[in-house]
Amino acid sequence: MKLRYLVKKELIEVMRQKELLFLMFVSPVIQIVILGYVVSTDIRHVPVGLVNLSRNQVAERVSERVRRSPLFAVRFESRRSADYLDLLKQGRAKAIIVFRDPLDRKRSAATYPEVQVLMDGIDSNTAMVAAGYFNGIIKGYILDDLARRGRGLPVAGRPLFRFNPQLRSINYMGPGIVGFLLTIITMFLTSASLVREKEQQTMDTLLMSRLNSLEIYLGKALPAVLIGLIDMVIGLLVVILWFGIPFRGSLFFLFLASLVYLAAILSYALLISVLSATTQQSMFFAWFSLILFLLMSGFFTPVANIPQPLRLLADINPLRYLIQIIREIFLKGNGIAHFWKDLLALAGIAASLVSVSLLNFKRFISR
Amino acid sequence: MSRAAPAIAVRDLRKNFGGFQAVRGISFDVAPGEIVGFLGPNGAGKTTTIKMITGLLAITSGSVEVNGLDNRRELPRVKRMLGYMSQKFSLYPLLTALENIEFFGGISGLAPHDLKAAMARMQEAVPAPVLRQKIQDVPPGIRQKVALFVCLLPDPGIILLDEPTSGVDPEARRGFWNEIYGLKTRGKTLLVSTHNLDEAEYCDRILIIHNGEIVSAGAPDDLLRREGKASIEELFEDAIRSHGQN
Repeated sequence: MKLRYLVKKELIEVMRQKELLFLMFVSPVIQIVILGYVVSTDIRHVPVGLVNLSRNQVAERVSERVRRSPLFAVRFESRRSADYLDLLKQGRAKAIIVFRDPLDRKRSAATYPEVQVLMDGIDSNTAMVAAGYFNGIIKGYILDDLARRGRGLPVAGRPLFRFNPQLRSINYMGPGIVGFLLTIITMFLTSASLVREKEQQTMDTLLMSRLNSLEIYLGKALPAVLIGLIDMVIGLLVVILWFGIPFRGSLFFLFLASLVYLAAILSYALLISVLSATTQQSMFFAWFSLILFLLMSGFFTPVANIPQPLRLLADINPLRYLIQIIREIFLKGNGIAHFWKDLLALAGIAASLVSVSLLNFKRFISR
Repeated sequence: MSRAAPAIAVRDLRKNFGGFQAVRGISFDVAPGEIVGFLGPNGAGKTTTIKMITGLLAITSGSVEVNGLDNRRELPRVKRMLGYMSQKFSLYPLLTALENIEFFGGISGLAPHDLKAAMARMQEAVPAPVLRQKIQDVPPGIRQKVALFVCLLPDPGIILLDEPTSGVDPEARRGFWNEIYGLKTRGKTLLVSTHNLDEAEYCDRILIIHNGEIVSAGAPDDLLRREGKASIEELFEDAIRSHGQN
């Protein structure tokens, strides 16, 4: 079978480049570990200031809860009224929590001080999360206080978090990082492969050989599939063993979805390679595509947040479906009944990309 | 006695790249078993013509027939008749010579035992340690030898060599032309492009191409006699001068 000689040649070329081997099999481990910490959306140690103008003991007790919370880092405390906005302007604190005694004590249903939280709203996400944390502390205090007095709220929602009980953002991001990594390695490797043959003029010899266009196409894609799957295993081991993310689903479906995804992404990469005249062009093209794939994938922000006119780009983005499927399998342990629509969409995109890419390749070789 | 049908028949062949005419309606034949030298300066249209014969480059107009087969209609069959060695020897720099041979033999459809036999033949001609080095690390003369060897692996009847002697030393060039003669004695047809004018003496016939047109054609001795020139260099310069330097 002639195809195996091409696959073997491609693998030898990869194995003979020590720098490339490092980039393909060692850098993913480094990338996942770094990305795993960097892309965490958990917000901790928010710098705050406490200003206690109240004589009520409750203010001190709530302040103590803020001090003990790992979510906040108290940077200064004061018992004097002053212009605290300056502290926000200087960036010394992201929030100033001010306790005051209410002016009209009779109108207060309980003996709690007034609490004002001044937030630095520039980083809206951190501000919203920090405000939520602080409200949680206040609410927790009130509920404990009421319970001590033998009372309670008539209705109290107690959320129970399934699949990720500790609400660790790495559990959400980690599986997505594996999908992202699979994309980086295979896209860069493959988008340069045909263009390199053109540059070193070996493409002509390939085309003069007995290989047909499909064999050349497959010969370029199959080694990348193999390398991509090895990287995927490395990525899974890192997120499971290093970050302790539980894997609850089926490896079979995970690899099935990954194979369908690889068909899509490798066809796209080969299309880049056919259209590019130089390796430099193909690298720029791949990098630009990668950023777009990532932003439109739901990796950082939910796809539902993408404005409607741009949603089409997300809908045809194969990475979006892979990340969705990986999260379903990884965290929820869901079977195909839960993600067959995503898998079908991914297969549709893969089929379209394979057709377009293969047609372009055939047109290129018969130019 | 009727002349044998040409191995290669090129008729009014043209190639345009946008507004640029790289090949301007050239016609020539290469007879079976003949060595034809395709002479011309860089950019004359030699590589473009050879690539159109192989089918690697689309023809703008005109025709190419290989053993009577139109290369546009019967390209897969035509390719099987041709061996092609490109300008840069087209070997994979990170593979050893033996790995290159195994690869090209494999994709040429050689059976495993034929492939082994071919590799053994190569090991008789070139020391084994050299063949086990990456091809990027071996001397140009060896690279040229390996490139010609892999070009011949599918045993083609017609061999197109594009600047096969560029970048190799004079001794390797002489050795290379000896191999070319060996191929001719085995009945192979050869079209060899070069810009080394002294190589014309090795050819049965030469075609001088300039600015995409054939400006002179014939057996070297006949041409010299006909044009009253003392050397191929003189003939070449005169042919080019008389057709303008544009």
